[in-house]
Amino acid sequence: MTASSDDGNAPQDPARRDFLGTVTAAVATAGAVAACWPFISSMNPSTDVLAEANTEVDLSGIAAGQMQTVAWQGKPIFILHRTPDEITAMAASNGGKDPQPDGQRVKNPQWLVVIALCTHMGCIPNKNSEGWLCPCHGSVYDNSGRILSGPAPRNLDIPPYTFATADKIVIGKS
Amino acid sequence: MSTMRLSRYSLLFMLMLPCIGVWAEPAKLADVIIPDSPEALKRGAQTAVGTCMGCHDLKYITYHDLLALGFTKKEVDEMRGEHTLGTALMSQTPPEAGLAAYGKIPPDLSLMAKAREGGPRYIYTLLTSFYQDAVGNTNNRLFPGVKMPDILGAGAANDPAAQHELQTKAAEVAAFLNWAADPHANERHHIGYYAVGYLIVLTGLLYLLKRRIWRRIAPPSTSLPSSKSDF
Amino acid sequence: MSNRVIAWIDQRFPLSSFIKHELTEYPTPRNLSYWWNFGFLAGFVLVLQVVSGLFLAMHYKPDTALAFDSVQHIMRNVNYGWLLRYMHSTGASAFFVVIYLHMARTLYYGSYRAPRELMWWSGQIILLTIMATAFMGYLLPWGQMSYWGAQVITALFGATPFVGDQIVIWLRGGFAVGDPTLTRFFALHYLLPFVIFAMVFIHLIALHSVKSSNPSGINLRAKDNIPFHPYFTIKDFFGLGIFLIVFCAFLFFKPDFFIGTENNIPANPLHTPTHIEPEWYFLPFYAILRAVPDALGGAVAMALSILIYGALPYLDRSKIPGGARYRPIYRLLFYIFVLDIMVLAYVGGQPPVGPVVSINRIATFIYFGVFLVLPFASIWEERWLRARGLPPAVQEILANEASQHGARQ
Repeated sequence: MTASSDDGNAPQDPARRDFLGTVTAAVATAGAVAACWPFISSMNPSTDVLAEANTEVDLSGIAAGQMQTVAWQGKPIFILHRTPDEITAMAASNGGKDPQPDGQRVKNPQWLVVIALCTHMGCIPNKNSEGWLCPCHGSVYDNSGRILSGPAPRNLDIPPYTFATADKIVIGKS
Repeated sequence: MSTMRLSRYSLLFMLMLPCIGVWAEPAKLADVIIPDSPEALKRGAQTAVGTCMGCHDLKYITYHDLLALGFTKKEVDEMRGEHTLGTALMSQTPPEAGLAAYGKIPPDLSLMAKAREGGPRYIYTLLTSFYQDAVGNTNNRLFPGVKMPDILGAGAANDPAAQHELQTKAAEVAAFLNWAADPHANERHHIGYYAVGYLIVLTGLLYLLKRRIWRRIAPPSTSLPSSKSDF
Repeated sequence: MSNRVIAWIDQRFPLSSFIKHELTEYPTPRNLSYWWNFGFLAGFVLVLQVVSGLFLAMHYKPDTALAFDSVQHIMRNVNYGWLLRYMHSTGASAFFVVIYLHMARTLYYGSYRAPRELMWWSGQIILLTIMATAFMGYLLPWGQMSYWGAQVITALFGATPFVGDQIVIWLRGGFAVGDPTLTRFFALHYLLPFVIFAMVFIHLIALHSVKSSNPSGINLRAKDNIPFHPYFTIKDFFGLGIFLIVFCAFLFFKPDFFIGTENNIPANPLHTPTHIEPEWYFLPFYAILRAVPDALGGAVAMALSILIYGALPYLDRSKIPGGARYRPIYRLLFYIFVLDIMVLAYVGGQPPVGPVVSINRIATFIYFGVFLVLPFASIWEERWLRARGLPPAVQEILANEASQHGARQ
């Protein structure tokens, strides 16, 4: 049925590589790869999600010794208004198994801002007077969010934030 | 052979016939060039926010979107006040108040430039077609009995200077609403030039390759009747 | 290395022999014109629709309260969402363009005749499934035209004798098109492409069994066939390049050409737009529906106008090969038919007043008339052509086939 080689019109080796073929294949492949990008990109956060990537928090309503939980990019954030006693205690300590001075963990010693997810398995720790206790596996954090004991490997993470005014912070990269 | 080619073209032509009706646009609309400069769009946005948004929503446009239009972060922060960047541009008037005042809820304007034949030209014509009739009532030539008030003062614009100001303002609002209905149009055209350009190059290469591959074989060997002219 | 991998696979799965048999050595008539490109293009558009649809479904919400907003969310906020949506909406029209051209080629060259009846019928099923998919997909943006289009078309089933009303309510899942309708249309719109894929597979198996027809209409001798690859792969890809240029011109510069202005207004069950019409690809059939003054008669005429294509292998009685190419009467009928469809498409988009009604009826009469005339015209035409004398080559081939046929019996 197919073109046999003895009829004199047989094509030469159809797989013969030549410059034109290579260039065309390269251009076509480049285009096909580029055409994939919009599809991949469409699964990234959309602009309305990105527009809400920053959370503004008014600190004036949080009294000393009190804590407020706010949402930032879908994650809980603890904002702790620390008392002078707590500030002194935290400045004196260097934490536990992930030592870090308190000064590196705050921008203003009055305010501790941490991501409220235990660095072990992502549970939300519960506040007590000494700091936090994670209900899942018993990790204990101090009032600087530093891990003291339990299975958690790291201190509580600090989100990027800036003080817009003395009593207003913007959580997220500006 | 030529009759065959002719009949093929006539077939293509016939395939295109139904398109003719689609291209016809209402002739009543003003023949206006809608500006597309960033400054005109920004002024149009300011007029729309300050005037149209008294009654109408722009619910698919957020303050964040205005950044893409060329407003600075500071200008947007002033406009949004306590609202977050992701808040939609909603009218100051609640829909019930609009319903009570005009008998119907003022329509959302985000898609207005796509939801009317003629798009931005329709908006421009509507805004500039208000007039005072003999009894002193305001009416509209494009949309007689329209509930919307003559918000840009077209009926009172009697001298050329006022006329010119009105027309500029209406064109800018139309330009802004045109952007609001299709905010990615510029990006789309931009990518389109590259995409079509790329495809022309690729198709040219494919054509050369096709010719080259087909040159390897000789024309058909049988004495097939080659065209219908045999009959 | 790659040879060893292929050898490993070939021991367990007929990969090499499959590629050899169906691609690199698949015999294809060398005289195929560019009219034979549209099957490949239809397959390409099918993949394009499935891929763009999949990514749209990641952002779309089939709920009457959210559907319109979610489409606007896709158009405005999702990265390249406008590209995905316009690709899908333009792709729907492109699908019908290539399918209709594919069918026009089949009609012109008489490719539906024996032994390709099963290809023709499987193609008919593909067309019907695509129409259903397109119709249901059109409801999803939940615009005014979406809503009223679905309302009118589902109401058509009300013409069914005795149980019409119950069927309409069952189809809609309510007394009017509403949330249940939207959700089920979305489910079916997602399902039917898989059915289309299955039918395309059957269509291709049938093709590879009977092989391609060709412009001469004669089964070519072995030496006039050439391997599909590389000759027709490159020809198909060149055609794809041309198609993509036109497609992208619409996609990037005139994407709203295929989306009516009314569909940018959210569905309002309390207000019908002043002029409703279906998408362009349904207009000829919609015109036939309107041509019959009776509701049931109109629905039957419309169904028949599509199903009647299935009878063509039996209506065309001529044994002269090559379809319209060597048959002047058939060619004339073909052009009358194509022109008639254009007229139907035009009147289908016009309000049914004044002369439009009469033109509509005459065009419908001609549409069915062509099918009714065909059996007689084809017999008479063959007699006439034989009396006039066929070209020697065609005579020889007809004699050859007849003797082979006789020898086998």
